[in-house]
Amino acid sequence: MSTEILLNAPRGHYRIKHVARSEIAKIITLRSSAITLGLTFAACLLVTGLVSHSALHHDPGYYAGFDPTAESLTGMITVALAGGVMGALLITSEYSSGTIRSTLAAAPKRPLLLATKVGVTTVLMVVFCEVLSFASFFLGQAILSGGGAPSATLASSGSARAVVMTGLFIALIALMSFGFGLIFRSTAAAIAAFVGVIFVLPLVMHGISESDVHYLPTNILINAIMSTVNQGPGGQFAPVSPTVGLVLMTVYAAIALAVGAALFVRRDA
Amino acid sequence: MRMIVGLDLPDSGSALIGGKHYAELDWPLREVGALLDAKAFHPARTARNHLRWLALGNDIPRVRVDEVLDQVGLTSVANRRVGKFSLGMTQRLGIAAALLGDPGVLLFDEPVNGLDPEGIRWVRHFLRDLAKEGRTVLVSSHLISEMSLTADRLVVIGRGRLIAETSVADFVARSGGGAVRLVTPDQVAFTAVISTAGATVEDDGGSLTVEGLTSSQIGDLGVQNGLRIYELTPITASLEDAFMELTQDEVEYRPSTMPGAIAVGEKE
Repeated sequence: MSTEILLNAPRGHYRIKHVARSEIAKIITLRSSAITLGLTFAACLLVTGLVSHSALHHDPGYYAGFDPTAESLTGMITVALAGGVMGALLITSEYSSGTIRSTLAAAPKRPLLLATKVGVTTVLMVVFCEVLSFASFFLGQAILSGGGAPSATLASSGSARAVVMTGLFIALIALMSFGFGLIFRSTAAAIAAFVGVIFVLPLVMHGISESDVHYLPTNILINAIMSTVNQGPGGQFAPVSPTVGLVLMTVYAAIALAVGAALFVRRDA
Repeated sequence: MRMIVGLDLPDSGSALIGGKHYAELDWPLREVGALLDAKAFHPARTARNHLRWLALGNDIPRVRVDEVLDQVGLTSVANRRVGKFSLGMTQRLGIAAALLGDPGVLLFDEPVNGLDPEGIRWVRHFLRDLAKEGRTVLVSSHLISEMSLTADRLVVIGRGRLIAETSVADFVARSGGGAVRLVTPDQVAFTAVISTAGATVEDDGGSLTVEGLTSSQIGDLGVQNGLRIYELTPITASLEDAFMELTQDEVEYRPSTMPGAIAVGEKE
């Protein structure tokens, strides 16, 4: 047996970089990660392509108040869905498979482990969502301008802001879902919570308090973040400004993560 | 065991390894290797990839992954998905993961569960070899006969309470040992002699079971009284007998046909 390896144990102790390498390896070594990212990429561009294409060849009246930027970001709705599911799965699959026990054996300092996990998830989601956001925008604009419809460039008013913020916002949605995963530890429960907040809550809120609907993630994303027209407090559909909307989403994600983290650090694994 | 590696929090007290909490270890996998349950892997990952990400987490060289795969005999299936493994193979992978950091302390929870006889033999020898290399190996098991073949020291826990902490030999000797089997054609005479000597005799049909005298004392009695002895065998209680005797009052789920349980039931 190689006792020399034991003697050769490096100085110091395991750090964030070791845990991060480990977490990245975990994501890379699962074929399902690549498949999910690939399918999401395809679905997003497909939706954007279809929506942009159906906006072509209308009467001039159709294009009054037309928002080519928002039109080209429609596919990002599918990314919000997929990102929410992936965010939850990144932690719940560890619980459902039992991997969490191996993970905690290698990195028993739970706050350090969780911080690294959240960090890796954030980087992955931000990069992926930003890439898709730009890809979706350029594809949509190419179709719109190619078909003679009004189109935008990154230099157009609000377009660059919308593209960048849409990617960030959806990454935050995925992080909120990661928080749900930490809280519930079960894939079904975490995804139910995510779908509840994103798709059910807006419908229910209409019946309770119409004015508060604007503060829900889904409404912020569509009416404030992705749009470049009807902005600001005066607008009928978007009383929340994009910046306030992004801050709100950050707070939502932070709350879900904070509750999840508090439970993760204390709970039996 | 889950408390030792910090998966569960104890209600009170603490579990330390070499004076440290598991969470305070510099390189946990290099100091403690644990096999707590066979299913601690994602089914879609290959055996090699599972060990790789574990190794990365504690800065363990990559060559070590193939070393431990070889050690547990999984080299040929290293690139297969773990989900397709049999219970015995997952158990071997769990052992490989525990050995990955070449730790001085090893914890195995029910390591032979679900293994075939050949696998059980392999684990038994493997555990002894690890101990011979100077490592501390802590094994838990419900298979008491298995423990008698593997363990040096015993810790008996019943319903969460420590019942005994001793060596296997002491444990067996202390509880139940000391009886001697005697085969003699002069049963009646011998019974009388032994009874006079203050020991108890039980007639088991073809043989007598003597309690309270050693085999040499019985041999001497035979010579002194001119009685013939065909066979004289000290009966050592098996570890299982010793265990049952000691834990009688601590059994959590007792079949209701046991007289004790019925009595309790009536009182309630």
